[in-house]
Amino acid sequence: MELSNQQLLAIYTNMVRSRAFEELVISIMPEGKIPGGWMSGVGQEGAVGALSTLREDDYITYTHRGAYYFICRGSDPGRILAELYGKRTGYCRGKGGRHLADVAHKLFGKSGTIGGHAPIAVGLATAVQIRGEDAVVMSFFGDGASNRGTTHESMNLASVWKLPLVWVCENNRYAGLTPVSMSTAVEDIADLAGSYSIPGRSVDGNDLLAVYEAAQEAVARARAGDGPSLLELKTYRIREFAEGGWFPTGYRDPDEVEAWKQRDPIDRFRAALLSRGVLTEELVREIQEQAEAEMQSAQQFAEESEFPPAEEAFADLYA
Amino acid sequence: MRTISFMEALNEGLREEMRRDPSVYMLGLGVHWSGRRPSVTAGLIEEFGEGRVRSTPLSEAAVAGSCVGAALAGMRPVAQFSLADFVFCALDEILCKAGKWRYTHGANGGMTLPIVFLETIGGYISGASEHSQSPLGLYMHAPGLKIAVPTTPYDAKGLLKTAIRDDNPVVFFQHKRLMGSQGPVPEDDYSVPFGVAEVRREGRDVTVVATSYMVTLALRAASSLEEQGVDVEVIDPLTLEPLDTEAIVRSVRKTGRLVVVDEDTERCGVGAEIATQVVERAFEALKAPVQRVGNPNLPVPYSRPLERAVLPSQEKIEEAIRRTLAA
Repeated sequence: MELSNQQLLAIYTNMVRSRAFEELVISIMPEGKIPGGWMSGVGQEGAVGALSTLREDDYITYTHRGAYYFICRGSDPGRILAELYGKRTGYCRGKGGRHLADVAHKLFGKSGTIGGHAPIAVGLATAVQIRGEDAVVMSFFGDGASNRGTTHESMNLASVWKLPLVWVCENNRYAGLTPVSMSTAVEDIADLAGSYSIPGRSVDGNDLLAVYEAAQEAVARARAGDGPSLLELKTYRIREFAEGGWFPTGYRDPDEVEAWKQRDPIDRFRAALLSRGVLTEELVREIQEQAEAEMQSAQQFAEESEFPPAEEAFADLYA
Repeated sequence: MRTISFMEALNEGLREEMRRDPSVYMLGLGVHWSGRRPSVTAGLIEEFGEGRVRSTPLSEAAVAGSCVGAALAGMRPVAQFSLADFVFCALDEILCKAGKWRYTHGANGGMTLPIVFLETIGGYISGASEHSQSPLGLYMHAPGLKIAVPTTPYDAKGLLKTAIRDDNPVVFFQHKRLMGSQGPVPEDDYSVPFGVAEVRREGRDVTVVATSYMVTLALRAASSLEEQGVDVEVIDPLTLEPLDTEAIVRSVRKTGRLVVVDEDTERCGVGAEIATQVVERAFEALKAPVQRVGNPNLPVPYSRPLERAVLPSQEKIEEAIRRTLAA
């Protein structure tokens, strides 16, 4: 469990880079260059703790919200942004927008339906199991997805087959404008685990080290062939459902939002690392500047890239 | 050449491909049980083990969606569903994930989805509305899938091998009434290509396009009409995607008359699509309006006389042929 200073700094840097990417996208939105919009994961970067337990040959599936999945796995922010712009140089050649894939980093694509990833995660894990490899699959989903039939079918099947899988529920309290208390029978989504005879743990999703520790345990279990686990990260969606103002707003209590802002995962982790002497104020500034510079290059790349020609709409349907 | 059943032909095709390529595996309800022979999966778990022959719960969406994940991770899954009627539970996974995934992600990393979904179709069994469907039109309408519809044991084995070797998702339809049918199947390795229609019967007066069990009915209608001096050509597309439209058009240019037979709800169906493609390409060759034989816009009912009223029959095909001749 002991993370070296170097590892701690790498994790912190990834959180900062993820946030910097998001802030860039948010700032670009009014220019209308991202036609499909963006769904922000600002405030949910505690999930970086889970991502940081993985090896390069592990697999993930991911939600529609946030940038940390791709940033942590090593994707190129320029190609992510180019895809959001709809440019030819984007990861999906402009065909997918937010539905990103980066197969080289084991990011195999994004379902357009919530809950669509759970069966896909089962399939990724089945492939690993058949081939006798020791990779694991970490499947992220939200409180909304936890109610889909696909989630329940997949959790059952993964347990029956004892697949090398870690289910990570980012419970950010809202699915669209529906609070989890209105939609979900259990208080702690981790309690679903009992229905599938797998271990379940609920942690403070904004405490990076708590997330890391719980994820590490689940990953080790999966890698040892002991089957799936369910991890619930209690977190909060700081920004509105979608950037661009097209989704309803005003359904949340501003005091609730403010209280969660005070629990920002990056602020908390930074404070912990500063108090340990792993970070200094100077290093904090340096990491921030580097992240912003990186994202500015990404923006330049996206701006300067070309759109795909119309004929490319007819490509890539069949292999 | 030896004669085997449609089901045995599928079993052989599957076994041969699983021997040939360790990335091929299969999953479905009850595939662990070889107690009833012949069956599509007889003997497979004994030969290939539980890892590659996976019995599943009643979880069509998870099963179908898992094929997408496994294929992305380099495997070649063959999912056996029972009735096509039940696969509606997994349509998001098949139509929107399997069919659209590669395109939506710009084929990133050269990704392919080599999946085969096996579904059983067809009525004539008093199965009522949810055990009798042949929803081919629905699948043909969705971009990104390939569709195979074998008619004989020869096609069944040959098309299945092509389907498993194809790097795209293939939906493979086997008809309930054909599973026990017998036919010649070579012992050596062969496959049937996609996109090549079979001329089941040559003729000069009218082209009848039919798939699956409808081919059987069309051939009976053709024999019956031969006695009345009508020479019927029967074309079996074998695959709906890719569709051998050229073969159909060639036939219509010869005969000038077209009947499309489709055991599916006629509205917006395969027959409608084929008819329109022919009209677009060979309107001037038509001597009569195109005739469709299909189910009216109704669910399939249970009672035998009611089912007969809804489903296609040899008589209905003969009537449609006569209508093209009378015009």
